[in-house]
Amino acid sequence: MASTTRSNGGLWARLTAPKNRGPLLVAPAIIVLFVMNIFPLLWSFGLSFFNYRANRLKVPEFVGFKNFERVLTDEKIWDRFQTTAIIVASSVTLQLIIGFALAMLFAKHFPMRRIIMMLVLTPMMLSFVSVGVFFKLYYEPTFGLLSYFINFFTTEPFVLLSSSTGALAGIVIADAWMWSPFVMLLVLAGLVSVPKYLYEAAEIDRVSPWRRFITITFPYIKSLLLLAILFRTIETFKIFDIIYIITEGGPGSSTESIAVNIYRMAFQNFRTSRSGALAYIILFIVIVLTNLYLYSVNRRAAEEDL
Amino acid sequence: MTHLVVNNIERHFGSVKALQGVSFDVHEGEFFCLLGASSAGKTTTLRAIAGLEELSQGSVEFAGEDLTESPVQGRGMSMIFQTFALYPHLSVHANLAYPLVRDGVPRKEIKQRVAEVAELLRVTHTLKRKPSTLSGGEQQRVAIGRAIVRRPKLLLLDEPLTNLDAKLRHDMRAEFKRLHRELGMTMLYATPDQLEALTMGQRIALIRDGKIVESGTPRELYSAPSNTFVASMVGSPVINLINGKISTQGDQNSLQMPFGEVPIATQRFNMSINSGDELTLGVRPNDIHISSDTPAEFNADMSVSGRVHLTEPLGDVTILDIDVSGSLLKLVLPEEKATSYSPGQDIELSFQLSDAHLFMTETGVRVN
Repeated sequence: MASTTRSNGGLWARLTAPKNRGPLLVAPAIIVLFVMNIFPLLWSFGLSFFNYRANRLKVPEFVGFKNFERVLTDEKIWDRFQTTAIIVASSVTLQLIIGFALAMLFAKHFPMRRIIMMLVLTPMMLSFVSVGVFFKLYYEPTFGLLSYFINFFTTEPFVLLSSSTGALAGIVIADAWMWSPFVMLLVLAGLVSVPKYLYEAAEIDRVSPWRRFITITFPYIKSLLLLAILFRTIETFKIFDIIYIITEGGPGSSTESIAVNIYRMAFQNFRTSRSGALAYIILFIVIVLTNLYLYSVNRRAAEEDL
Repeated sequence: MTHLVVNNIERHFGSVKALQGVSFDVHEGEFFCLLGASSAGKTTTLRAIAGLEELSQGSVEFAGEDLTESPVQGRGMSMIFQTFALYPHLSVHANLAYPLVRDGVPRKEIKQRVAEVAELLRVTHTLKRKPSTLSGGEQQRVAIGRAIVRRPKLLLLDEPLTNLDAKLRHDMRAEFKRLHRELGMTMLYATPDQLEALTMGQRIALIRDGKIVESGTPRELYSAPSNTFVASMVGSPVINLINGKISTQGDQNSLQMPFGEVPIATQRFNMSINSGDELTLGVRPNDIHISSDTPAEFNADMSVSGRVHLTEPLGDVTILDIDVSGSLLKLVLPEEKATSYSPGQDIELSFQLSDAHLFMTETGVRVN
């Protein structure tokens, strides 16, 4: 039968033969992915070795690794890396602390637990833009809630975003507010997986709460906590939307993260090739972090098989 | 000396009454068994004594002290869980040392005591390993070790052998007896297995539906069960229970059984019996013999004839199911004698009336 189909049918018949139907159905998605993602990715990688600027008509010249060299030796870039590191470190730490505390709270049973938990999870489901706008209004010196409350204690107008520390704190708080529930979910999954009889055995063995936490609870959440840290580090490392909406990198350049810097370089200064080089350096860092993440996921899976 | 007093404790889960007034007491140094089917309330009773369950009513006293309100940690008891509840992320050594840390025992002594316990329970070779790499029997012994390492005054054991295979269970029964003798601590042992209770317990309390039905020594429960429930819970194979009716002719009372008439002396009964009352006759399978082959000193005053229905060889002994006028009687025969019987064969049985237990059919209460 198959041979008759092949000899009698034309191109269409061959394409729609049963064994080709699967690839045919997947093809549109693959084509879109290639055109919209993979091709630009490779093209921009190529461009990062030229001196292309998107707002000039000049034919770009090949410059080799010059763009990478300039980016890596630029003190400004290192300063942006530092800013990003500060934001990542403080935001992830804050998320861990708050997420952990929330998880401990929701591991207990209390009235309205489900409804309150749903409310607590909401920030995670909002878009970056709405969170950014929300916090921008919240920090607003004339009618923002924060300044309003602080003005009960002092008559001076309070402008959080005017100092570089204040602006950093504002960004970190907004990001932590949005993502603490995520950490909470992961830790909570670990907490509820601890068998209840272990706690009872520990009670019989007269163990102090701290030691009980270290020896019984913590081993169950350890690997999930590591996942949370890695996941949040990768995500926060790429932070852009919230900063761009709340401070646009200011005051000065004190909250300009590396992602904001790339945006500026590419779409305000039109140093397209150079920003491409920087973007690839960041992609490399994220790939390293992601591999760490995958490694720890696999390790957790192996642990559970035990 | 009375050590542990459980006084009329009740535990309700919503509308479900798991314990409805359980009372018993345990002497110092005693091996006390709590025997009952699953969901009879054994585990809840132990958990209530340990303080893991809040009491709805009643009190628990231990060594002269009322513990009803005191927290779990302050009770000085250890408990072995049915699931073993070993800490999965700690090594066997750390598991065994776990209960000692709180007491501020010096590091050197902890090491020594763990070594002693490991030696006693033969788990020294596993000390560096994680519990999940151990066999069931080893995990069980580590769980025991963890419970006894701090030398508690009372050890609660919640069906510790239920998760083990038959061979291991047999070995562990002997192990528990040895431990009890060597350590001399009071043990309260919950089990659904009457064999465990009979072989290990110095005294047994039978529990059903959250109530203690009867308590006493294994001998007492076996030879004079107070009702049909106790009679059928204790002893293996299960006691033969056959219903009959009292008929009176002049002074003489007799019990009309399916297989004939049994003369009984009602004047020695602890309640008055009237003609027409229904009684249940109970005879243990070990008390029934084959008429042609009765032991010396056996004064058979009752004999019945029947037909072999089924043989159940158990290795050293065989259980014969005999069909006697429609009801089945079980008896135990040594293997070598049982080989000459096969299903369908006619057989004559005899037993002594002094071995028989009589119960009211309606209430199950013992009358003789």
